[in-house]
Amino acid sequence: MTLHIGNVEKVPAERPFNGFVRPFIRSRRHGYVKFVARRIAQSALLFFLTILLTFALINTAPGDMVDVMAGDSGGADPGYVQLLREKYGLDKPLPVRLYNYVDQLAHLDLGYSFPQSAPVTDLIADRVGPTLLLMVSSLALAVLGALILGTAAAWNVHRLTDGAVSVLALLAYATPVFWIGLMLILVFSVKLSWFPSSGMETLFSGYTGLARIKDIAWHLVLPAITLSLFHLALFTRLLRASLLEVLRQDFVRTARAKGIGEWRVLGVHAISNALLPLVTMIGMQIGASLGGAVVVESVFAWPGLGRLAFEALNARDTNLLVGIVLFSGLVVITVNLVVDLLYGWLDPRIENV
Amino acid sequence: MMPLSRRHLLRNAAFSGLAGLLPSGAALAAAPARGGRLVVAIDSEPPVLTSAITTAGPAQWISGKVFDGLLRYDNDFNPRPQLAQSWNVSPDGLSITFKLRPGVSWHDGKPFTSADVAFSVLQIWKKYHSRGRSTFANVVSVDTPDALTAVWHLSSPAPYILSALGSPESQILPKHLYDHGDVLTNPRNIAPVGTGPFRFVEWKRGQYIALARNPAYWDKGKPYLDQVILRVLPDGNGAMTALETGEVHLVVNPPWADIARVRKLPGIAVTRSSGFTGALAAFEFNLDKPYFKDARVRQAFAHAIDRDFLVKNVWQGYGEAADSPIPASLSDFHASNLPAYPYDLNKAAQLLDAAGFKRGANGVRFSITHDPLPVGQTYKRSAEAIRASLARIGIRMEIRSQDFAAFVRRIYTARDFDTFQYAASAGPDPAIGTQRFYWSRNFQPGVAFSNGAHYLNPEVDRLLVAAQSESDANKRRALYGRFQQIVQTDLPKIPLVSANPVHLSRGIQAFSVDAYGVMGNFADAFLVTA
Amino acid sequence: MARLNSFWTRYRRNRPAVAGLAIVLVVIVLGLAAPLLYPGDPWAIVAQPFLWPGEAHAPVLGTDVLGRDIASGILHGARVSLRVGLFSALFAGLIGTIIGSLAGYYAGWVDDVLMRVTEAFQTVPSFLTALIIVALFKPSVLTIIVAISIVSWPAVARLVRAETLRLRGSDFVAACATFGMSDIRIIVTQILPNCLAPLIVMVSIMIASAILIEAGLSFLGLNDPSQLSWGTMIATGRDALRSAWYMSAIPGLAILVTVVGINLVSEGLNDALNPNLRQRQS
Repeated sequence: MTLHIGNVEKVPAERPFNGFVRPFIRSRRHGYVKFVARRIAQSALLFFLTILLTFALINTAPGDMVDVMAGDSGGADPGYVQLLREKYGLDKPLPVRLYNYVDQLAHLDLGYSFPQSAPVTDLIADRVGPTLLLMVSSLALAVLGALILGTAAAWNVHRLTDGAVSVLALLAYATPVFWIGLMLILVFSVKLSWFPSSGMETLFSGYTGLARIKDIAWHLVLPAITLSLFHLALFTRLLRASLLEVLRQDFVRTARAKGIGEWRVLGVHAISNALLPLVTMIGMQIGASLGGAVVVESVFAWPGLGRLAFEALNARDTNLLVGIVLFSGLVVITVNLVVDLLYGWLDPRIENV
Repeated sequence: MMPLSRRHLLRNAAFSGLAGLLPSGAALAAAPARGGRLVVAIDSEPPVLTSAITTAGPAQWISGKVFDGLLRYDNDFNPRPQLAQSWNVSPDGLSITFKLRPGVSWHDGKPFTSADVAFSVLQIWKKYHSRGRSTFANVVSVDTPDALTAVWHLSSPAPYILSALGSPESQILPKHLYDHGDVLTNPRNIAPVGTGPFRFVEWKRGQYIALARNPAYWDKGKPYLDQVILRVLPDGNGAMTALETGEVHLVVNPPWADIARVRKLPGIAVTRSSGFTGALAAFEFNLDKPYFKDARVRQAFAHAIDRDFLVKNVWQGYGEAADSPIPASLSDFHASNLPAYPYDLNKAAQLLDAAGFKRGANGVRFSITHDPLPVGQTYKRSAEAIRASLARIGIRMEIRSQDFAAFVRRIYTARDFDTFQYAASAGPDPAIGTQRFYWSRNFQPGVAFSNGAHYLNPEVDRLLVAAQSESDANKRRALYGRFQQIVQTDLPKIPLVSANPVHLSRGIQAFSVDAYGVMGNFADAFLVTA
Repeated sequence: MARLNSFWTRYRRNRPAVAGLAIVLVVIVLGLAAPLLYPGDPWAIVAQPFLWPGEAHAPVLGTDVLGRDIASGILHGARVSLRVGLFSALFAGLIGTIIGSLAGYYAGWVDDVLMRVTEAFQTVPSFLTALIIVALFKPSVLTIIVAISIVSWPAVARLVRAETLRLRGSDFVAACATFGMSDIRIIVTQILPNCLAPLIVMVSIMIASAILIEAGLSFLGLNDPSQLSWGTMIATGRDALRSAWYMSAIPGLAILVTVVGINLVSEGLNDALNPNLRQRQS
């Protein structure tokens, strides 16, 4: 969650997979397909190793699933504990369990979650929808807000509006997320009763179609705003800085000299170029949204993957936790790939580092 | 011979489940209204929905409404009929005959018979329920001469069995759905079929569990409610907010510190469960560590812990200072005139000096570690208060933190600790709730909530084993009385606070009407408007 | 010395940055002064619990759920929170610099391997990783510092790598190589000093992030129970949030103010150091 203020020209270099775009330029000079294939293979291998590392990490941590179950049970006996361990395969040594897990993965099976009595795939599938909903809406709000505030700040640089936006962004960044969430609930849910205080939808309302969408949207407002504020701060600063950079550059001065109106200069040229680092940063923040929404999901009882991961952690539910890590990783990789392609499309005259 | 009836101590009467019938200050409410949907806020999800194979708290809150047990227990701990209409213990204590209720059927329509009882005790409770494995260890066989009679044969008398037959503890499962395949992965564990007042409808993980009225319930006319929804709200603030905004009627586990504020709001009632649902918090020593070998050191600790402060500031007044491992609410067994350890720092210092642990140059006698049970905030706060007291008599206590799995592993398997704090249910009978912590044979590394201190006292062992199978209630009481005298002098663990759960509610009545409180079946509960 | 002077002149021009510096200095001084102003144990129970600031017989900022002095907690907590922030950022900076500079300098397969490793660390959501590490091993100040460092170093590595790649091809590096200077000396004496500007800015932001991450972990219950940090205070006051909100609000405010101050300082550093960088580039 680091903020990279000001060094806008450095941001492109920070992207994962930045080399993926290079082939478009280098394609005439180097073996393009070979390069891409090599990169993908390397990344896949690394990702796979990460999964294994996570699996091993959870299994070496003190306490296991049976400790939790038998502990919950309070007052078991060694026979019961042994019975459970054998049942869940926890009496086997780590390399054997690792091998079994990999074997399972090879069959595209994420395993079974014993603490939750359901296949891991089902558990994740249940939560994907709400998670994506929260993530997309909070990022969309953040981008929208950043476009408005960042543009206002850059256009009025060093004047009052700029100062006000900076202060706002700073406050949004510096206030702990859960504090914002709790305050929003207090004001808008308890005192004003405008929005529900928790959950994703009104239970058993029988809403379908448009009514249901409206109901979910109403529940989404507070958590999405809470989650978006942090990103809003980052994106606003970024957009402002990169807009300022762009506004100084030659082609903008040329556009101005040509007599193209102020708004068109800003809108078409400046913003579309300033969007590049923003798009990159959005890609980087996807990962933060997936796992980092744990706190927001806890405060608002939103049924997302972050909270599920936390529960899996506490229950030492290896299959579920590794499944979530695997899923998030795949989403992040895919998004970064898309971002790279988008990057190339947005500005084909991109200069390499 | 039935167990003698037990009188509740008068001072606990205000806290008995009867309070559930009366909102604070109001007179006895109107007749039960039919219909409506009750929404309950629970703070964690259970692993499965039948507490026949798990003793996790959340499972007990839910499954007691879907399943019945053979008996239920009123607020004075007297057993009352549920699926068993009458019962009879033979004079030698070696067989119990249950006459079962006719006309009861499972939620899927099949009839309930004695075969289900036999199956449940022999194939389920004895094998898969952690407490049941020892509670029903003596049950060797069950005869079912007809569909409504079950005769249990015991290898030796076990008077405590009759206290352990309520639904949250020992549920009757349907044999026809469980007798093939693996019990632990039976799909019925998450979509239960019982005989209780509510049928299972749906479980949306992370959100809610939905139950609906069982129209064919054997207790005609009940339940009054149409639906019971258990909403999963893990954040304490979230649950309280939902109660304030009217989104839930009942909060099962409110955070202590917020109760005082919410109870003042209009329409909010405070209910305290009684009986079997309480937990006794205790501070336990690792007797294998050199510092704690001397009883005077342990007694010094007892004098250095201000239990009244803990009750007032950590439990916010919703508990009682405990002077025995058997809580005062189990009045049949709780002894009086036990050794007392009033809060007295001078006395504590003297005992430590006498034991040879004088203050060093920096004022510290010795340093120890402490691991509080990582469930909620209560035990962490309690540990911090104790740390502050101990600091004043020169003992530096370092509090360590870990999650539940690591805690269980560290304390009970690795035994890598000096002291720890936890709470455990002390009921329904000392043989089930208390014995496991003091019996030397229950020192079992690898098993959670066993004799963690490694306490070994042959006299205590003798008393516990004798009381286990003693059928005469008076003799039993005397045995446990002597037991309490000894362990409160030895102090392998210091009982701190005995607390029964507190619930906040609005618009719902009669939900905590017997010894299992909110774990009961809600058959009598009804909604009131305004 | 002249460089320092001109740096300070540039920095001083940015008024918010100066304000930020003042804030940070005040926080540091308060933290250092804690044992003088509030000697003794901040965990000690000094008065009745739930006393609001300003109540009669109450310590200046009130007492918490067990009766501990909140002002004492804020001051002593400053030491812990700043320590967590500083060390996490420094370790992340150190690891990231080593990996980034090696990757950028040697390029080729070294770069490939190190960058794949960096990417691997970046694909798992960072807060989740920190959560997993701290929860699985006992929550303590040390584990929290390690966890935050582990999730923060990739960004540093990418930055240092980019700078190293850029500087590697420059004349003075080639000159040093012909003199026979060893690779390590080149990296440490020639390349790194020129990355210093953006590195300092990044590390200073990471201090603020670390403080926020620690607060988030504390909220979820993963705080160090023996070190009183602001995050711990917020976690302790969480249950009483609705009735005694000052218990969480005051440490929350402390975090807010500190993070704002650090942010302003890093902004100022960025502006003051950047012109220097631009000159080098041409």
